[in-house]
Amino acid sequence: MNSLHARRRLRLGLRLGAAAAITLFFLFPVYWMFMISLKTPDEIYSYPPKWVPGQFQVGNYGVLFKDGDATAVWHSLLVAGGSTLIAMFLGTICAYSLARFKTGGEHLANWIISQRMVPPIAVVFPIFLLYVWFGWVDTYVGVILLYTAFNLPYVIWMMRGYILDIPAALEESALVDGCTRWQVIWKVVFPMCRAGLFATAIFTFVFAWNEFLFALVLTRTEVVTYTVQVTHYFGGQSNFWAKISAMSVLGTLPIFIVVAFMQRYLVRGISLGAVKG
Amino acid sequence: MAHAAAPRQAGFADRNFKYFLVGPSILVLLLIGIFPLVYLLVVSFQGITMTETDTGFVGLRNFAHLFHDQRLWEALLHTVIFTAIALPIELVLGLAMAQLFLDRMPGRAVFVALLVLPVVVSPIVSGATWSLMFDNRFGPINQILGWIAGHEMPLLWTINPHLVYPSIIAAEIWQWTPFMFLLLLAALANVDKSQLEAAAIDGASYWRTFFKIVLPAIWPVMAVAILIRGLDLFRLFDIIWALTSGGPGTMTETLSIFTYVKGFQQFETSYTAAVALLIIVLLSVVVFAALRRVALAR
Amino acid sequence: MADLKITGLQKYYGPVHAVRGVDLEIPAGEFTVLVGQSGCGKSTLLRTVAGLEEADGGTIEIAGEVVNHVLPRDRDIAMVFQNYALYPYMTVFDNIAFGLRARKTPKAEIEPKVRRAAQMLAIEPLLDRYPRQLSGGQLQRVAIGRTVVRNARLYLFDEPLSNLDAQLRDEMRGEIKRLHQELGKTMIYVTHDQIEAMTMADRIVLLREGKIEQAGAPLDLYERPATKYVAGFLGSPSMSFVPARIVTDDGGLAVQLDDGVRLGVPAGRGELLSKRRDQPILMGVRPEHMNRASSGDSRPGLARHTAAIELLQPTGSRTYATFQLGGAQVVAELQAHDVSQPGERVELAIDMNRVVLIDPASERVIA
Repeated sequence: MNSLHARRRLRLGLRLGAAAAITLFFLFPVYWMFMISLKTPDEIYSYPPKWVPGQFQVGNYGVLFKDGDATAVWHSLLVAGGSTLIAMFLGTICAYSLARFKTGGEHLANWIISQRMVPPIAVVFPIFLLYVWFGWVDTYVGVILLYTAFNLPYVIWMMRGYILDIPAALEESALVDGCTRWQVIWKVVFPMCRAGLFATAIFTFVFAWNEFLFALVLTRTEVVTYTVQVTHYFGGQSNFWAKISAMSVLGTLPIFIVVAFMQRYLVRGISLGAVKG
Repeated sequence: MAHAAAPRQAGFADRNFKYFLVGPSILVLLLIGIFPLVYLLVVSFQGITMTETDTGFVGLRNFAHLFHDQRLWEALLHTVIFTAIALPIELVLGLAMAQLFLDRMPGRAVFVALLVLPVVVSPIVSGATWSLMFDNRFGPINQILGWIAGHEMPLLWTINPHLVYPSIIAAEIWQWTPFMFLLLLAALANVDKSQLEAAAIDGASYWRTFFKIVLPAIWPVMAVAILIRGLDLFRLFDIIWALTSGGPGTMTETLSIFTYVKGFQQFETSYTAAVALLIIVLLSVVVFAALRRVALAR
Repeated sequence: MADLKITGLQKYYGPVHAVRGVDLEIPAGEFTVLVGQSGCGKSTLLRTVAGLEEADGGTIEIAGEVVNHVLPRDRDIAMVFQNYALYPYMTVFDNIAFGLRARKTPKAEIEPKVRRAAQMLAIEPLLDRYPRQLSGGQLQRVAIGRTVVRNARLYLFDEPLSNLDAQLRDEMRGEIKRLHQELGKTMIYVTHDQIEAMTMADRIVLLREGKIEQAGAPLDLYERPATKYVAGFLGSPSMSFVPARIVTDDGGLAVQLDDGVRLGVPAGRGELLSKRRDQPILMGVRPEHMNRASSGDSRPGLARHTAAIELLQPTGSRTYATFQLGGAQVVAELQAHDVSQPGERVELAIDMNRVVLIDPASERVIA
């Protein structure tokens, strides 16, 4: 009796130890990036590398703000936020149509899913040329439109699953009670799948926020997102680590905050998406 | 309630409401769905390069060139190597982690929340971070190795041909194992407990239970995870761009990087279109085959 | 003018022909129950009337207007769903007020209307609660409250009591009936439970495989069923059927069972059967038509038969005993405190005035 208990406690202890070690391992690079951003250039380029900055200084950030580079984060926010809102709205109503009316049958649904599999690299060039023709290069409209297009399949796929889980009787009751179809969507469907909306929105936002390839190709000077901005500091011979790390932190911190608040939605979002198939 | 007027008949907008809902989405999707494909098809049969702007029909010249392009096939090989190595490691590691965190433990929610972080970091930032960590003089990796080895280890992780692959794979695994972990954790949590209990009573060993009961139960989720990650790895660009830019030379050039270079640095427009079509075809074949296998497995 | 008139209604679900030509007229103020087994088309019929499904053929008229292409919200109907369909993120008050708000009822009118409906259903104290805090019965009352507040022309109920336990169901049956008496509105009620149908309906419409098998007042269907199906559907325990023949016996007619037993047919009924001499017949017997014979009872039409009890099922108010009769199992009704035992031979009196005689080929009731 005693030894079973002791063995259980030992197992738990070992598991906790392993868990802590693994978590530390996965967090280490994040720590390093944050830490570097707080070091002076001397400390960064000191050998052997120090694991804790001698003094916490925010000069690196100051430089970014002074140079106006920090606005890259603002651009990222506009672009990611805008495309997420649009994609969530259009995608959810489309998902509703697919879920309740089976619009377009299997063909439409399959086509939409297949759009998700489109390799960005294959279409980046034609889209770039299209944008040149429309004059959309380096504009907010252009980038937001593109991210919306890339996020739509995911949003539609996820929200369709969530909507199918809502009992149709709720909507039918609203229809009989006097709601138009639009009112049903606003007053019944959206509130009912709120959790799903959040989970999907977070993913969509993070994806747009972290996107690089299209941001690189479709922007020049006006709409530089933070991912592209970071690469501006890569030199041929050496990299401006101070700026790189500070910019990276500036770009990553907002996401960490969002994730921290919406943590339960995120985990549910990942797992539900897969478990639903 | 008086009924002087006849009830309103359903109108055009009412009858076709469902189409109005999907219309805008389809329009937007056409942007990346139809137009680029059409463009690629057209341009790949033309002869546009950096110098030539002739839009005449040149037959299958670009496609023929595909087969002779050594660099292209090397890029494909590199892509396959990355996928073949990183994916299994992510899978096994993710599964092990999921198993570790499956049973209750104090603070598990905190651990899981923290482990989500690598996934939400931009791959560019991830690459930059690892690039920094791999720095031969100022990076902690060499420092730690030095402690273990007893002497200095100024390894050039991002330049040394023998080390570039491990370094990229390390960064990839760091970023995406937690994704596998989260997915598999959910799948493991959904395994029917009564089956496990029955197996325990029957005296099955840990591994037997795992392979015969757990694995088949989580296979659908695992298949989806493999498909998603496999596709992502196929398109690998950001992390490598940040770490090595495809170098040294073209050693770590993946298919995506190759295409980018050809299109945006060498401006081989038509040839790039042919390459892009090749990629789409390859991907479609892989996805189609994978989906059929998954569908059959259900 | 009838409040609801359905003519030749057809409805397909893919290849399944769910409603095959239904004609129905429901006068104002009547409580009509659509009853039948699962898949008979009753819910489909109701939903088509509501406008939630579109008819593939035939017309639906509400108050004289054809509404086939009118949206549900414009048909002036209210509906109660099987699983309540309450919005979990709204209070009871908001749930009930939902329809009023959707139709842009002036704010000042909403509160008194909601309160009145809540009073009618005894849920006023619950107005500030959320659905998750309520029991099944309370939820159903809120769902009904939502319809009552609307003052619609037609009230539709789609198996509203199926999710409740037996005791609650009994209670709610009475509530709904009382509501009908108070409001006087036309109500159409769908259920698979024949007890609900019998107790609540002004008129029963029994559906079978997409068609109306028989429609009429409950007791009409019960005592004068048109077909074997109707006869077997209503009544609990259900009617037993015994194969037999009509034969001449002693100057009159008798029903001869497969084992030779003869049961005399009363003179009055003989006229309807005279053409069926020597032909096979199916005799339908309800438990209440068969009792333990008492010595003093010599009413005409009682046939006597002795058989051994196979099974006894006491319900408290009466006891049901299973016998063999002519090769078939029949159920007879005995007194509650009848102390017979299984295996005991008992003399039964069968009321031949009330048994139902059915043509085996067409399954139509002859007498």
